[in-house]
Amino acid sequence: MDESTILETRDLNLWYGQNHALIDISIRIPKNRVTALIGPSGCGKSTLLRCFNRMNDLIDSSRITGEILFNGNGIHDSLADVYAIREKIGMVFQKPNPFQKSIYENVAYGPRIHGVREKKALDRIVEESLKGAALWDEAKDRLHEPALALSGGQQQRLCIARSLAVEPEVILMDEPCSALDPIATAKIEDLIIRLARNYTVVIVTHNMQQAARASDYTGFMYMGKLVEFDMTTKIFEDPGEELTENYITGRFG
Amino acid sequence: MKKEQAAPVPFQSFGRLRRPGIGLISAGAKRQLVDRIVGKLLLFVALFAIVTVFFIIVFLLRDGYQIVLETGIWNFLVGQDWNPAGRDPAYGAFPLIVGTVLVTALAMAIAVPLSIGTAVFTAEIAGPRTRSVVKPAVELLAGIPSVVYGFFGLILLADWIRIAFDQPSGSSWLAGSILLAVMAIPTITSVAEDAVSSVPREFREGSLALGATHWQTIKNVVVPRALSGIGAAIILGMGRAIGETMAVLMVTGNAAVIPDPITDIFSPVRTLTGTLGIEMGEVAFGSTHYHALFGVAVILLVITLAVNGAARVIVNRMQATARPKPHRALTAAASRITHAASAPFGRLAHPRTSQRCAFLLISLSAAIVLAALGVILFEIVVNGAGAITWEFLTGSPRDLGRAGGIFPAIAGTFWLVTGALAVALPLGIATAVYLIEYTADTPLTRGIRAAVDLLNGTPSIVFGLFGFAFLVLFLNFGVSLIAGQITLGLMILPTIIRTTEESLRSIPGSLREGSYALGATKWQTIRRVVLPPALPGILTGAILSIGRAAGETAPIMFTAAVFSSRYLPSSLAEPVMALPYHLFVLTTSIPGASTQSYGTAFVLLLLVLAIYLAAILVRRRYNREKVM
Amino acid sequence: MTGKSLSGATTVAVAGILVAFLVAAGCVGGQPSDSSVSQQITVTGSTTVLPIAEKAREAFEDEYPSAGIMVSGGGSSVGIKAVGEGTADIGMTSRDLKPEEVAGYPGIVRHHVADDAILLIVHPENTVDRLTLDGARGIYNGTYTNWNQVGGSDRQIVVVGRDSASGTREFFSEYVLEKEDFTKTQEEFNSNGGIQQKVSRTPGAIGYVGLGYTEGVKALSLDIDGTAVEPTLENITGKNYPISRPLFMLTNGEPDGLARQYLDFIMSTEGQQIVASVDYIPVQG
Repeated sequence: MDESTILETRDLNLWYGQNHALIDISIRIPKNRVTALIGPSGCGKSTLLRCFNRMNDLIDSSRITGEILFNGNGIHDSLADVYAIREKIGMVFQKPNPFQKSIYENVAYGPRIHGVREKKALDRIVEESLKGAALWDEAKDRLHEPALALSGGQQQRLCIARSLAVEPEVILMDEPCSALDPIATAKIEDLIIRLARNYTVVIVTHNMQQAARASDYTGFMYMGKLVEFDMTTKIFEDPGEELTENYITGRFG
Repeated sequence: MKKEQAAPVPFQSFGRLRRPGIGLISAGAKRQLVDRIVGKLLLFVALFAIVTVFFIIVFLLRDGYQIVLETGIWNFLVGQDWNPAGRDPAYGAFPLIVGTVLVTALAMAIAVPLSIGTAVFTAEIAGPRTRSVVKPAVELLAGIPSVVYGFFGLILLADWIRIAFDQPSGSSWLAGSILLAVMAIPTITSVAEDAVSSVPREFREGSLALGATHWQTIKNVVVPRALSGIGAAIILGMGRAIGETMAVLMVTGNAAVIPDPITDIFSPVRTLTGTLGIEMGEVAFGSTHYHALFGVAVILLVITLAVNGAARVIVNRMQATARPKPHRALTAAASRITHAASAPFGRLAHPRTSQRCAFLLISLSAAIVLAALGVILFEIVVNGAGAITWEFLTGSPRDLGRAGGIFPAIAGTFWLVTGALAVALPLGIATAVYLIEYTADTPLTRGIRAAVDLLNGTPSIVFGLFGFAFLVLFLNFGVSLIAGQITLGLMILPTIIRTTEESLRSIPGSLREGSYALGATKWQTIRRVVLPPALPGILTGAILSIGRAAGETAPIMFTAAVFSSRYLPSSLAEPVMALPYHLFVLTTSIPGASTQSYGTAFVLLLLVLAIYLAAILVRRRYNREKVM
Repeated sequence: MTGKSLSGATTVAVAGILVAFLVAAGCVGGQPSDSSVSQQITVTGSTTVLPIAEKAREAFEDEYPSAGIMVSGGGSSVGIKAVGEGTADIGMTSRDLKPEEVAGYPGIVRHHVADDAILLIVHPENTVDRLTLDGARGIYNGTYTNWNQVGGSDRQIVVVGRDSASGTREFFSEYVLEKEDFTKTQEEFNSNGGIQQKVSRTPGAIGYVGLGYTEGVKALSLDIDGTAVEPTLENITGKNYPISRPLFMLTNGEPDGLARQYLDFIMSTEGQQIVASVDYIPVQG
């Protein structure tokens, strides 16, 4: 792997109370690429994803050892600002979760909380973000309608636009298509591929075709451990571990 | 293999628009500081509930413990005579305790079957159209101010009992119980109805699919499953009944005797609340009698808190046991039903007949409740509408309220309610936000919650007493608008905290996560993402509190209300007229003012009902929006 | 938008709390000293005296439109306490001050504004027209429980009286009952009007009220040594009808300003006519 690394974990361990959810994870996420995390339910892939922007901080019982580096800086360092980290590392969730505001206000929310007040600037950010999330054409005439009036797929793209609006470097996606129908899923996948030009995308998915189609790198996790991490083509065509192969071919008990 | 489709926009273009000159770390530190300060501030406000409870208890005990010193705790609690003005003054609270227990018990005996019947009727039997009438009607019953009930009881109910049962006097245990039953019915009905409605569909379907009749399903599956909810409903209703003052003191006759024989429901009785209501105003300050009344308040507080504590335990147990094991109830029900089906052929008609009987009884109970509402509304509207003139609404009272208008009372009520909201709304919302958003389950939050529960269970007359002892006397506010506003504000505080909590809980956690993931601080998230959608729920709570504050007499009669005032208050230090107090005085103290009494009752009723209606509309509109 | 209005709401909330406390603090300090010079006074206390204060207020304010007088009830003790503590300008009481009250508020000045008699009232259908004092005492201490024991028809007596904190009750207890205990089955109300209403609706009832409360009820004559003394104005002023008592208004120190004008008005001819018009006995003229 000779790509430049944007996110890295070193011997990361995480506990939820007594439950040892992540075990000795060391992974390097390459910059401006799509990285997929796959594995059976409960393997820790979403937990790992939530480590990258410190969303696990919100869970009181969680405890972490090891290091997580973002552009070479530890995100748990005493000087690190968790809000700035989340600004730089955006996240899109399993179920679309637009705020109960208008489409416009949903996208403008991030810039607003980070201090952008000027109307013109906001207008521009909203437009560019919606374009970036391929939602502009569908939404431009109804910017001030409630976001909840959008379809599920549109809502998910709105959530992507919302995270684009704060100019992240990384976008974490936690099974972003699991609540969507195939057509909406295809649109999001297209979008993911395009986003990789300017952003680093880390996506957790249950759908192996999705990982194969949309990602450059794939990590396979099992029981809290990172079993294998490599180029997507390598993982799907010639996995190094038997466990990985069993999972990918569906022979999994 | 990548589709090298150009990203439509060069994103780097708006980077320079952002906060020039502020580095990442210092900006973060500032935001974190704000966040921490807000958190501390909210904690500080949330502690207010505990402080209030502390002060209430301290001030009641401060004036109450001396009676125990003088008479001994035993003599005070089980002494048979309450005769503070006798040659040998006696301060035995036992007849008052017995009176409270008896009146409440009989009230519950009347209210519980009717309420459960009405709850089952609305939740299970009534069609959508009937339900849309019955449900608001029951809620309106809850909105009628207690002094209006008392007025009604004094004018009609007591007379009716005297004539119908050929008794020398109609003021009796029975009259008090009937009135309290009507007042407790809405509480019991709505909580019980929630419990019945929340029984999952599968249970009903499972039972019906076994060939059970609708009634068998209700009896064997739905009601047993909802039982703990219904239990909590009954106890909440009981708490309401025990703490009620104004209506009770107007109809029970207030003789401090234990009925002889104990089953003599036509005997006059006196309750703890009634004693406070009629004696507090005239008692000499600092006298033994004064201390005895505070002692009575302490007893009252202890009883209501015990009842509410029981409700809490039951609700907790319900939540703990309700979730698992849908199968067991269903299997049990199935065995009962198959059992019935295997009975000899001749009895097969039986389930249908019993269903008919049961439904008849259930519908009847709903009808009785509606009739009670109808009678009260009819009486007051028919007699009161005539009194409504332009002068009545805009003028000042003359000739002791026998002529003239009630405008200062309307305005006074308005100011009292506005002030109460100004006190309770910020405190309540901040406390709820702190409880829901800031802390997990710590001893501190548990303490705050317990304090809110205590406040919620505190009878309004106890708030009145506290306001009097603390605000009027100790802080030397005098009988004043501000004393009344604060007292009422404290009274509605728990309602606002609770409805706000409910509202905040209903906001999905995913929205909060969405906001955090964008780098928002906790406070930014709360203010911009959580609170706006929670607003309608908070508003409903506030409106219901307005209704309650506008209709209450007991908390203001010693703290803020005056009998007459030509002018509107020009400062917070002045006392005011208020509609419920005006009605109370007109009914009990001014002969020959019955037209004005009815008119005042009508206006008060109209006002409170309008407020409740607004709450119902807000809720309905909100629900519709949520569905969209 | 919502965000903006909400932040406004929080600001208002915080400001609200602050203002509330400031105003509260202001009240504590400012109120008592202000009221003596302002054109507003508060009158509070006995519900028995209240009709005089209230009617006088109406007439007084008609004459002096800029005056603001607020009248409230609450009871004699409230009146004494309020004027003693300075929370009201004028107190009203239907009983004299108790020794501890005199000791606690040495500055209180009494103004004897009227006299009141206490009437025994029964339902209009009651055949009894007169009672001896002994008869009344017997009814109220529970010796007699049926009207036929005091010369009426066979009907159970419903004894109605005031609450135990009432000045009227205290007076009645001293004068009629000679401090014996009331029967325990006495139904209690916290106002004259309450008793009057109760009696007017209950055929077997008897109650005691001040002079004004006779609508819908029958006032009994007192049988004094065989002659029936009706509670008429002449009989009461002439001290033939024995159950009467003075009514007072109280000020802390000699009154000044509006309080003085108002009290002078009550003691004037016009004021005393008002006293008579609300069925009390004038003390002047």
